[in-house]
Amino acid sequence: MKKKRMDYILFFLTLIICIFGIIMIYSASSIWAEFKFNNPLKYVKQQTLFFLIGIIVILITTKLDLSILKKKANLILAICFALLILVLIPGIGSIRNGSRSWFGIGGLGIQPSEFAKIGLIIFTAKYLANNQKNMKDVKKGALPIFLVIAIFFLLIMLEPDFGTAMVITLTLVCLIFVSGLKISFFVKLGLLGILGIVGLIIAAPYRMERIISFLNPWSDPLGSGYQIIQSLYAIGPGGLLGQGFMNSRQKHFYLPEPQTDFIFSIISEEFGFLGVIVVCTFFAFIFYRMLKIALKCNDLFYKYLAFGLAFGILIQASLNLAVVVGLIPVTGVTLPFFSYGGSSLLVSMLSIGIVLNISKK
Amino acid sequence: MFFSEIHERIRFVFLVSLFILIAIIIKVFYIQVFSYQKLNTLAENLWSRQLPIKANRGLIVDRNGKVLASNVTTVSLVVVPGQIHEPEKVAKDLANILNSNYQDMLEHVTKSTSIERIHPEGRQLSYEIAEKINALNYDGVYLLKESKRFYPYETMLSHVLGYVGIDNQGLSGLELYYDDYLTGADGAIKYFSDGKGNKLELTEVYEAPTSGITLKLTIDMDLQMVIENELDNAMAKYEPEQGLIMAMNPQTGEILAMASRPTFNSNSYQNYSNEIINRNLPIWMTYEPGSTFKIITLSAALEEKTINLFEDSFYDDGSINVDGATIHCWKAGGHGAETMLQVVENSCNPGFVHIGSTLGAEKLMSYIHKYGFGSKTGIDLNGESSGILFDVNKMGPVELATTSFGQGISVTPLQQIRAVSAAINGGNLYTPYIVDSFLESETNSLIEKVEPKITGHPISPETSSLVRYALESVVANGSGKNAYIENYRVGGKTGTAQKVHNGSYLSGNYILSFIGFMPANNPEIIVYVAIDNPKGVTQYGGVVSAPIAKNVLTSAIEILNIPPSKEGMAREYTWLDTKYYILPNVIGMSKKEATQALKGFKIEYSGTGTKVIYQSPEAGYYAKEGETIKLLLG
Repeated sequence: MKKKRMDYILFFLTLIICIFGIIMIYSASSIWAEFKFNNPLKYVKQQTLFFLIGIIVILITTKLDLSILKKKANLILAICFALLILVLIPGIGSIRNGSRSWFGIGGLGIQPSEFAKIGLIIFTAKYLANNQKNMKDVKKGALPIFLVIAIFFLLIMLEPDFGTAMVITLTLVCLIFVSGLKISFFVKLGLLGILGIVGLIIAAPYRMERIISFLNPWSDPLGSGYQIIQSLYAIGPGGLLGQGFMNSRQKHFYLPEPQTDFIFSIISEEFGFLGVIVVCTFFAFIFYRMLKIALKCNDLFYKYLAFGLAFGILIQASLNLAVVVGLIPVTGVTLPFFSYGGSSLLVSMLSIGIVLNISKK
Repeated sequence: MFFSEIHERIRFVFLVSLFILIAIIIKVFYIQVFSYQKLNTLAENLWSRQLPIKANRGLIVDRNGKVLASNVTTVSLVVVPGQIHEPEKVAKDLANILNSNYQDMLEHVTKSTSIERIHPEGRQLSYEIAEKINALNYDGVYLLKESKRFYPYETMLSHVLGYVGIDNQGLSGLELYYDDYLTGADGAIKYFSDGKGNKLELTEVYEAPTSGITLKLTIDMDLQMVIENELDNAMAKYEPEQGLIMAMNPQTGEILAMASRPTFNSNSYQNYSNEIINRNLPIWMTYEPGSTFKIITLSAALEEKTINLFEDSFYDDGSINVDGATIHCWKAGGHGAETMLQVVENSCNPGFVHIGSTLGAEKLMSYIHKYGFGSKTGIDLNGESSGILFDVNKMGPVELATTSFGQGISVTPLQQIRAVSAAINGGNLYTPYIVDSFLESETNSLIEKVEPKITGHPISPETSSLVRYALESVVANGSGKNAYIENYRVGGKTGTAQKVHNGSYLSGNYILSFIGFMPANNPEIIVYVAIDNPKGVTQYGGVVSAPIAKNVLTSAIEILNIPPSKEGMAREYTWLDTKYYILPNVIGMSKKEATQALKGFKIEYSGTGTKVIYQSPEAGYYAKEGETIKLLLG
């Protein structure tokens, strides 16, 4: 097979979006960092460090022989499973933002659910590639893999980390959809989901209020509506061109931890509608490049792997943006490449690295 | 190839993903465009804090622009609790400087509010105290400009001007009546704060306060000072219970001056009793007007032509019997045979009982109502009284008789001066007013001018001229002669009213009044003087109040620039009076002839000629016997 060149466009797109992310972390976090650590550069320095490690990860990954992933997919999944169990044990896993989802190592932290995302994508890609014939049959093909997904979903929900669990589930379901499972199955799955939600509401009508309160955050401005209101206060006054770089007001202790889940609010506050279009275009373009690689790839495993990793990034970004602009209730998903967090950045860059490797095949 | 199905689904996923991203962009567009206004306002409210800056109150100036009420700048203390780092220390230091309670101060600086005003101990601070607080240089402690009302003339015109409370709100007088005009729009220092209440450096907006509107009064402060001075003298000389003087332009209703005793200092109104600061006597006090009211009866009878001023006569034997009651004249033994003009000159009560009877109760009362008695005049001040009149349906001959000469009814001084103005100005009843115009505070440009307002025509111009004649005659020949001013035409009427207490007259306790105006042919000023219960003096208005009115009118000549006149009535002299003679024209005479012609005067020559070419005062003016006449020879 003829060796192709790596997709440099995707590589540079990734570098640019990461650097933009670091700049925004500086703007969003300096006030908080100064208040909490007396060091306005605290977050931006750490993120820069992870970014540099991430570049090394990409460069190494593009040189690796990816077939090892296919061979060791079961082992990788087993390690992820073990880590997800371990993190639930008090004393080993530590609690952040109300969920026991971290291994604290010094000042840094590792989030096993982030790595489980890649592990599961690899495993599912392999499963689908190996069982391509069976996938037409729901019982033989789909059920076993859905069982695996369900187990991991429940494990992550034990932390609990609803956001990551949702990202993983949606990614894998979509991957299975692409593999050719009958549409009618997904329609039934969707109906089941709707029935489940309706059932939950009938069982406990207060959930309806939750949904209403998400639609109108001002019904509980200091409780469940607080974050989304603060986010809207950032986005709204941003207008077409924004308040200007560094001029966000909401980062001044109004929006809590603005460098993490709600960094997109600060972007739209400082750069306005223009900034929003730029960010969305970046994600669309990266997604497009990655899908192109998946489409060109002739190996089924790598095709599924590239698609899964691509969709994993896109669905995470979409969920985050939808939360920040108030389209869906707050779920707690970070924005890939932008939100502060080492594990999240490394996993995103690792995904890019793997796809870049595939691009050479 | 089976890849094609996979590829189709991948493309489908891509399109769905694009759709999701577009939905997000549309939502952002909606937030930033359609909800922009609402969110921006809400967010501004969240971010912005305001430190208020008090606006200056509008000035009050007299008709010539003299400032009667101004503002002095003070500062007041404001704290922003969210910005204070060491509340205990700040509270201790502030309490020390202000000499106030530490616990109270601690409460102020730790209160969970965005901005806290230290009230009242932190208000209107002196410069020294402000400097000390400034020197502390604490975060969250602010000194904000505040203005304090200042009345440079202190006790003068204080009832008219009124006073303001600590928040510069008008509490009485013009300050209250025109509070909305005088109150400016407060400004602010607007700054943005972070979620913890700290001030953000990036933005600070200064919104300048807008001063209130300047009130220009009809008051002439020069004339006001004259009446204040006259009142002070009268208070010292006669020790009366109360006293008041008012001056008005009878042709417009403009109040030129208004004062009363006891008075107070508007800068420190708190030190006076409520009775003193709340009672603006010229508009509040009601009492029997006495003889000054006879002008009303006279004008009504002249308008109705029930009497002829010159041809009808009356015989006064000292008393008159009305329906079994005996009404005495003030002069024991009576005035004998009088023409109607003499009845007025003598202020003869039986004569006026007669005049009243020619009218009858219904007619007289209708004129009294037409002159505005019994209802408020509508002057632009609070606290006006209406007075009390007899009900015309219940009036018998006695009530008619006493009303005719101003007893048994009660009126305010303002009603009286307004009605008499109408009687002498050609018959126009004006609404008295004090604010002449509203001026823009910065440029002094005119916003609105108040125009004189006529509310009725009780009598005709012809009748009015007869009234003027009769009242000039009162001053020249009758009971008002103590108000006579040589070379000027003064008209007027005295009044001596008994005071009523618990339904019966107090003996030896009178309100002595005089109402006078000039020039008598075309009045420019009308003055009303009332002295309540003076001690150690004959109890007649002609003795106490007429000389005061004369002093006021004399001063008004210069202040209002009233030209002298030769056409006035000559005065009737008694042996007690210094004689005045009309100066003959000596210009063109020789020195000898002139000396002859000016017998009884001292003559001062200058120049070297043989004939008189200039004389001062000029011919036709009155000169006092023995006065020096200057002649220039050439």
